Amino acid sequence: MFYRLSGVHHTRYASARQLWPVPADRWQVYGILALALAAPLYLPQVYLSSYLLPWLIFGAATLALTLLMGLAGQLHFGFAAVMAIGAYASIHLSQAGVPFELALIGAGLLAALIGCLFGAAALRVKGLYLVMATVAMQFLVNWVIVNVTAISGGAVATLQTPRVSFLFIPMDGLMARYYLALLWAVIVTLLILNIKRTSFGRALVAVRDKDFAAAVIGVNIFKYKLLAFFSSSFLGGVTGAILAFCYYQAVTPEQFSFDVTISLVAMVLVGGLGSVIGAFLGAGFVLLAPIILLNSIASLVDAGWLSVSTTLMAHIPLMLYGAMIIGFLLYEPLGLAKIYDNLRKYFLVWPFRHTQS
Amino acid sequence: MKPIRRTLLGSGLAATAAVTLGLPMGRALAQGKEPLKFATLMDFTRVYTFLTSEYSQGQQDYIRLINLEGGVDGHPVNLTIRDHASHPQQGIAMYNEALRDGNIFFDFLSTPVANAVMPRANEDKVPMIAFAHGRADAIDGTEFPYVFPSAAIYRSQAALLMQYIDEQAGGLKGKKIAFVHIDSPFGKEPIALLEAMVQSKGFTLQGFPYPVPGTEQAATWTEVRRFRPDAVIIWGAGPGQAVSVRGAIGNGISPKSIYSVVWISDTDMQSFSGDTAVGVKRVTLVNPGTDQKIVQRIIEKVIEPGDGSGDRSTVGSTYYNIGVASMAIPVQAARLALGKSGAPLTGEKLKAGLEMIKDFDADGLMPPLTITAEDHQGGGWGRISEWNGKQWAPLSDWSTAEQDLVWKLIREEAGK
Repeated sequence: MFYRLSGVHHTRYASARQLWPVPADRWQVYGILALALAAPLYLPQVYLSSYLLPWLIFGAATLALTLLMGLAGQLHFGFAAVMAIGAYASIHLSQAGVPFELALIGAGLLAALIGCLFGAAALRVKGLYLVMATVAMQFLVNWVIVNVTAISGGAVATLQTPRVSFLFIPMDGLMARYYLALLWAVIVTLLILNIKRTSFGRALVAVRDKDFAAAVIGVNIFKYKLLAFFSSSFLGGVTGAILAFCYYQAVTPEQFSFDVTISLVAMVLVGGLGSVIGAFLGAGFVLLAPIILLNSIASLVDAGWLSVSTTLMAHIPLMLYGAMIIGFLLYEPLGLAKIYDNLRKYFLVWPFRHTQS
Repeated sequence: MKPIRRTLLGSGLAATAAVTLGLPMGRALAQGKEPLKFATLMDFTRVYTFLTSEYSQGQQDYIRLINLEGGVDGHPVNLTIRDHASHPQQGIAMYNEALRDGNIFFDFLSTPVANAVMPRANEDKVPMIAFAHGRADAIDGTEFPYVFPSAAIYRSQAALLMQYIDEQAGGLKGKKIAFVHIDSPFGKEPIALLEAMVQSKGFTLQGFPYPVPGTEQAATWTEVRRFRPDAVIIWGAGPGQAVSVRGAIGNGISPKSIYSVVWISDTDMQSFSGDTAVGVKRVTLVNPGTDQKIVQRIIEKVIEPGDGSGDRSTVGSTYYNIGVASMAIPVQAARLALGKSGAPLTGEKLKAGLEMIKDFDADGLMPPLTITAEDHQGGGWGRISEWNGKQWAPLSDWSTAEQDLVWKLIREEAGK
């Protein structure tokens, strides 16, 4: 009843193979896109700048990581370092006079090259051992950025982003920055949505499932593992640059520390490995749940309904947040995307029953 | 009326009466005028935990005292307290929300978050304090008009330590100084100043970084022992400080030649029994102890009636008094600003008020602070204190050191 399936039949392969063959799904996607495009009109500025903007950017970063972890099956615990390379490279390139669009691409390429270098470890090791190699990348890159003053901008270690313009629109003001972040998020979303339908995506899935079997049927696992790291690090590098220019506007090494890497991995896992909607749900959850919990607890304390010391008031949201993560993963180990999927399947055939799948 | 309805009505009336009578009518609460909103968005849960709860306790008790004594010219002060766990992204989100809610003064107590928010504070025209932390060039009021370190920055603190060694501990010429620091931007702050002093004072300096978070320093101290320094400067914070002192003493360095940054407290020294750590010196920016006049007033009017916001034993500790000082400065600035421009108080008026502060010492709690439009540090005053086994006792009077060199370095770096 909610997803009108009757009368929906496809007479051409193209329409049957489209991303959302059910019109109700398509309308939902158009609705969300319209909401995102119109956000500066109805959303108060503080929510736009502090909630929606980082959500979009970290959603794009999660998509890049889910390409590597969900689709190609390579665990990567150093993704914040990749974003850091992109951020610092883009700032230095812009300061050197390179146009902003080319600086973004250059930053992505540099991040991809360095990410590929460390990702070559994936050719020899798998699983937890690859995690060790990528953690080493995280700490190495962090150390280089902190200690090489030419990169990090001197002893004060804060680098301001210069004023730039993207395609002749100056990047001043919240709206310009928001639309650039939205554009990048849409590009990455379209890429990851379609990637499973290409030969590249199918090769990555084969490498993930059983790499020696893939080698037997003729997939060059050497090339595809490196390509997975290259493409994921390129997307991550450009996302890091967008994060620096559109959100932080002044980068310090702490913004790309190991904690950020763990947050990104949590976003991927809580959202659901390999799914696009999972990336945005996971990013929203990890990013916004702590702040929302903190604000609710703080307003309870201010209204006088809860009287605890300030330190305990600061720790309660963390306890609740940890409990929520455990709760969600116990309820549905495949993540928030699977919860959405279950809900969709329920409403798809409502009021008839559906089989649990 | 039916009996049940009567009982309900009666209990309802009784409850209303209780609530109305329970309201604090007897105290001279600042009422009727618009509250001044200050926001303290700090790190309670992750990196700065050793400091924030005592610091925040000092701030809350002081603001409660101010509100009890009639507020600032009748305006009560409302404190917004939130935790950002030293995450720059969370700090920025909370800053934006607090700004929307009308807060005109900010304290972040976290170097990464303060550094991330500084450009926004300048744009949004709200003053923020960065008491004794944050980047060195923030003391330049012309570059950072809305950032007020309001206390000796790390480079000034290092200069004070070196001045003490030079004048009171046998001179610097020909001596070997080991600078043992945490490997982070905070730890590296004073290196530029120390290296600039090497030429003029004729000593040998070597840096010994230890990795974040500072709980593992054994390897570093073995190297320091090989260096055989005449004096050791330790530059860390939190639990790493006690580890540093233990590492130094365990490697044969006398506690009398250990000099520390301001972030070492009574709690850190409690783990040393008896005389083991007597002689360790540190920079003091705010007088500790419960016999300060302001702390006495707080004890009398806030703690004794039971309105304190934490453990009684923390009142008067180093970080508690630093918290009191960090709120005394904006309250004084608000008084000056309201006196000059009148209500309502905005961020710009408060900034002007901060720059009007002259020789303010909070009844003897701090050294005389004078902030001008160019100098947001307030002069770089501090004094050296020594651990005598029970408390940190001052060894000298308030003084400044090498301020010309500090400003010269900042101007050179700004030019690059």
